[in-house]
Amino acid sequence: MTTVSSRRAGLSLPVPSKQQRVSRGPERGKWLRFTLLVAITAVVLIPVFVTVVLAFLPTTGGSAPTLENFVNVLSTSLVGQWMSNSLQVTLVTVIVSVAVAAPAGYVLSRGRNRLVSGYSLLLFVIQSLPVITSVIPLYILFANVGLVDSLLGLSIVYVGSTMSVATWMMAAYFDSIPASLEEAAWIDGCSVFGGFLKIVLRNSLPGILSTAIFSFLIAWNDYLIAIVFLKSDSVFTLPLGLQSFFQQNTTDWGSVMAVSVLMMLPPIVIFALLNRFFSVGGIGGSLAGR
Amino acid sequence: MLAVPSIILIALISIYPFVYAAGQSVRDGTLISAGSFVGLDNYAAILSSPDFWHAARFTVVFTVVGVFGSWAIGMGLALLLRTRVPASGLFKVLLMLPWIVPIVVSSTAWNWLVATPESPIPLLFKTLGWGQPLFLADPTLAAITVCLFKVWVSFPFMMLMTSSALASVDGSVYEAANMDGASRWQQFRDITLPLIARSTYISWILMTIFCVNDFPTIYLLTGGGPVQATTSLVVLAYQAVFQNFQVGQGVAIAFLMTLVLVIVSVVLYRQIRKSEIE
Repeated sequence: MTTVSSRRAGLSLPVPSKQQRVSRGPERGKWLRFTLLVAITAVVLIPVFVTVVLAFLPTTGGSAPTLENFVNVLSTSLVGQWMSNSLQVTLVTVIVSVAVAAPAGYVLSRGRNRLVSGYSLLLFVIQSLPVITSVIPLYILFANVGLVDSLLGLSIVYVGSTMSVATWMMAAYFDSIPASLEEAAWIDGCSVFGGFLKIVLRNSLPGILSTAIFSFLIAWNDYLIAIVFLKSDSVFTLPLGLQSFFQQNTTDWGSVMAVSVLMMLPPIVIFALLNRFFSVGGIGGSLAGR
Repeated sequence: MLAVPSIILIALISIYPFVYAAGQSVRDGTLISAGSFVGLDNYAAILSSPDFWHAARFTVVFTVVGVFGSWAIGMGLALLLRTRVPASGLFKVLLMLPWIVPIVVSSTAWNWLVATPESPIPLLFKTLGWGQPLFLADPTLAAITVCLFKVWVSFPFMMLMTSSALASVDGSVYEAANMDGASRWQQFRDITLPLIARSTYISWILMTIFCVNDFPTIYLLTGGGPVQATTSLVVLAYQAVFQNFQVGQGVAIAFLMTLVLVIVSVVLYRQIRKSEIE
């Protein structure tokens, strides 16, 4: 499978090989492409840029950057509470999703029978089900057991909705770990589960991080599931909070953008730090390879 | 055994609701009561409603533009970033931002940029003498804006998928092509594209699923308006259930959509697996 090389690459493309460099033209072309990229990136990032600028611009006029808007929203609204809600839900989702997807991904990676291919197809089919179909029955089910308007209920739905992709991502990474490693452990008297835990999982930090980043983005950025399941503003997560805040303060762009900055900061920081581990290439491979 | 927790979760969060939804689609229930059996009335009502067909048409347009727009841009950028360029690592992270930033945040920023006649982009158009377009109030322009927004959000994903695929292409084939005097375009068309074909198909399938099922990109920017111009099937289903409380019809809309999507996905999935064996 070609994925073994591609998954490692992820965002950080390997330096083009020698042969390519020879064929890639002179220095001038290099700076031309650089200028082109700067221009494209500048245009693409306009929405992000205006968000940051408006957040730091004083509402009272003037152009010196200020933290006024941030102080303002944190002291007069529920933004702090919403942040803490979002953090809780996201943390639970990331941990549970990795813990459940890792063993399932192991089965997908090592299993070679009809049951496993059926499972693989099942993952693919449920990935294509729209969230809206499952949300309505889940709402009714959760209402009966008191999980509506609760952060726990929301986390359960998030974990469920990360399952397909998280399992593929883990499986793709496990594919790159030779099976001979755990087979050696079995011969030494290690159980299958023990071998998975001690040998495979210990060598899978990049795969685990990749899956964790994915689950983080799903839980932190979700709007649809939250708007259905959360009703009272004290349990709002940030996306709902920002939306309600936006509707109440349509003219106070400084405050709205300050909340926006607070909300986009965690995903950007995490991605900037960990992007070399993040790869979606493996999804394709594990989707088609089984 | 190791897959048991995941299977239980899938059964609870995905399969049970799906079966339940199938049941709801033939009843006239609300969010609190199951309602009574009405046969295929919900389906008949939907299929004869112009709103449904309008939403179906918009969903197709939105999906086609979303998939191929983001693919073309993502592919272009992946090819550009593959060449030797200063600070390419930084560009890769910066260009991922539209996909990383929460839709709630980016839709707010887009709103600020285009929503009212006094917003920066309409003012810019006015300065350039192109009129003062109402991007979210004119039905056609709103549809175009939403599609553009979707492309903006999605191209980084395509860039990532294509980059991964390109990384696995052996550079020496290009050297041979160079010797044979193949042009850049010929190399791209006859070498690069076929070599990454499988990954391309997969990214199209995934993006189709993402687009058809998309809710926040549309709902947060336009709410489905003006006058239903940007209402996709998912938005229509959401409105039916949570604004008009017609659970049966809402679920039936989602269900019809799902059925088509699942059939398309499974057919394409088998196609990939077949091409794999060759």
